[in-house]
Amino acid sequence: MEKMGIPSVPLVTRAYEDLAKSTAAERGMPTLRIVFTVHPIWGKTPEELWAAVNGPDPITGKPMMKEIMDDLTAPLSAEDQKSGLLPVPAGPETFGPDSLDNLQSYFMNNAMTDYMPIIVPTEATVAAMLKGTSHQPDELVGKAGGYKYNVKQVAVNAVMAGCDPSYLPVLLAIASTGDLALGTSTTSFGYSMIINGPIRDKLSMNYGIGALSPFAQSNATIGRAWTLMGKNLGVGAIPGQTYWGGQGNTLNYNNAVVAEDEKNSPWTPFHVQKGFKPEENVVSIFNGWDIRQGHGAKGAGAVLPKFDEQISSMLPTLTRMFNALVICDPLTVKALVEQGYDTKEKLQDWLWKNTTVSAKEYRDSFLAHVWLYPRALRGEEPYATWYKVPEDMQIPCWPKASDIEFVVAGGQTNTFFQVGNMNYVRSVSIDKWV
Amino acid sequence: MNRRQLLSLLGVSPAILAASPAEAREKKHKNVAGNGGDDAKFMALSPKGTPPPVQRFSMAPRLSAIQGKTIYLVDTGFLGADQLLQQVAAWFQKNQPDVKTVLRKKAGTYPEEDPKLWAEIKANGNATIMAIGH
Repeated sequence: MEKMGIPSVPLVTRAYEDLAKSTAAERGMPTLRIVFTVHPIWGKTPEELWAAVNGPDPITGKPMMKEIMDDLTAPLSAEDQKSGLLPVPAGPETFGPDSLDNLQSYFMNNAMTDYMPIIVPTEATVAAMLKGTSHQPDELVGKAGGYKYNVKQVAVNAVMAGCDPSYLPVLLAIASTGDLALGTSTTSFGYSMIINGPIRDKLSMNYGIGALSPFAQSNATIGRAWTLMGKNLGVGAIPGQTYWGGQGNTLNYNNAVVAEDEKNSPWTPFHVQKGFKPEENVVSIFNGWDIRQGHGAKGAGAVLPKFDEQISSMLPTLTRMFNALVICDPLTVKALVEQGYDTKEKLQDWLWKNTTVSAKEYRDSFLAHVWLYPRALRGEEPYATWYKVPEDMQIPCWPKASDIEFVVAGGQTNTFFQVGNMNYVRSVSIDKWV
Repeated sequence: MNRRQLLSLLGVSPAILAASPAEAREKKHKNVAGNGGDDAKFMALSPKGTPPPVQRFSMAPRLSAIQGKTIYLVDTGFLGADQLLQQVAAWFQKNQPDVKTVLRKKAGTYPEEDPKLWAEIKANGNATIMAIGH
């Protein structure tokens, strides 16, 4: 609005003071006139909100409405009218010289770690890591939030996480997307990735027993490095400044790295579904909220357990803000194939058609109200229709069948599956970064 | 009865005493640290990305007075923002009755632009108050 010549006042709840001020500065108006009100405003009665409007700005102590009117009318200062390009210092490129213990503490005390011990990224350790790719250290890899980073900066984070140099191409592929873990939202996002192709065995990735648990260096440290990249390569994740997850998310420690068991799955591998060749090495990125246990199957006592119905019963418990990622053990896939689902697409289609909620229930979710209703307002389908139909009409949980994704991993010790409330974001080639 | 059978009968996995194959595979990966001795000094490399320069913009000229102006109250989609702005509108009606307020909900999610609304404000409004935060 200000850039369009319309004087404006952001009226911000006080919890976002730092974020509002830093965002204004990053967007080129460090003196933007911001007025604050109480936090939270959600769930307050009209009387409580009336009192807030008539009360003071909790940051400045001045009467809130008078402050708004003053900010819209007080003439601009010279500082308010400044324009032009302002360079931002990048900070030191090195730290030390010091002992490894002191450097370890320095990294931790300056919010560059996940608060578990790191491998200190010395010249020697980073040089060793860089042998994992043919790309030059100063080659630009990607951007996130305007920040740029090169191969060497990604390699530094890989060293810190404890990666072997052979993992570096996977991390470069992830970093090239600009999708860094630890994105900010008060709702505490989580992240996941699927890795396909021969590189899974080359890196000794675990897609068998305990596929989602800490039983392989590659699975563990690739996931950890993604979080460190999220902390360091972009705007960072400083609680109260650039990270706002109310409760946080345990997925943030290693981001649920799933190597698909392509050999024991009769279904098309995930990366081939996305248009890659079977022999290509690909990482696919997801963001969302959680991954939960599937709790068996329906049809107790029956010869053929009904996994389709069990998955269907769980999907409505997910939010509509993110889609579904179902991680099936190969034994579960075998049972599903015996039920007739010989392709992922057949199962996706059945689930999409047979898992519905009433329009009232759909619209009753505050997350749908915040994230999907605004899309309905601008006429985006199917949301526009779903916000018009009668309350008792049954509608699908998500716009299309492919919003329910499947991947195969697990040790075949039992027929289980897990369900993630996760959005597929994109798939990228790892081979490009070897 | 060997030790493996005994542990199995006790419901204890032999892998508790002998690392599992997956863990054994993990151990063969050499740590790249190359840690030095206690007295050794090292330079560490920064893991940080490079921040972008900031393009500064002048703020919009302010109003000479608020009386007689049209102020758009923009609900950006945060929970409770519409109710808060209703009270802001009521405050203007009571205390500055010659100020016209127009309450609008922005289309799209929080960070998304709403060009249609921006054009409406540009054409019909003199100022905006935008509610941000839950």
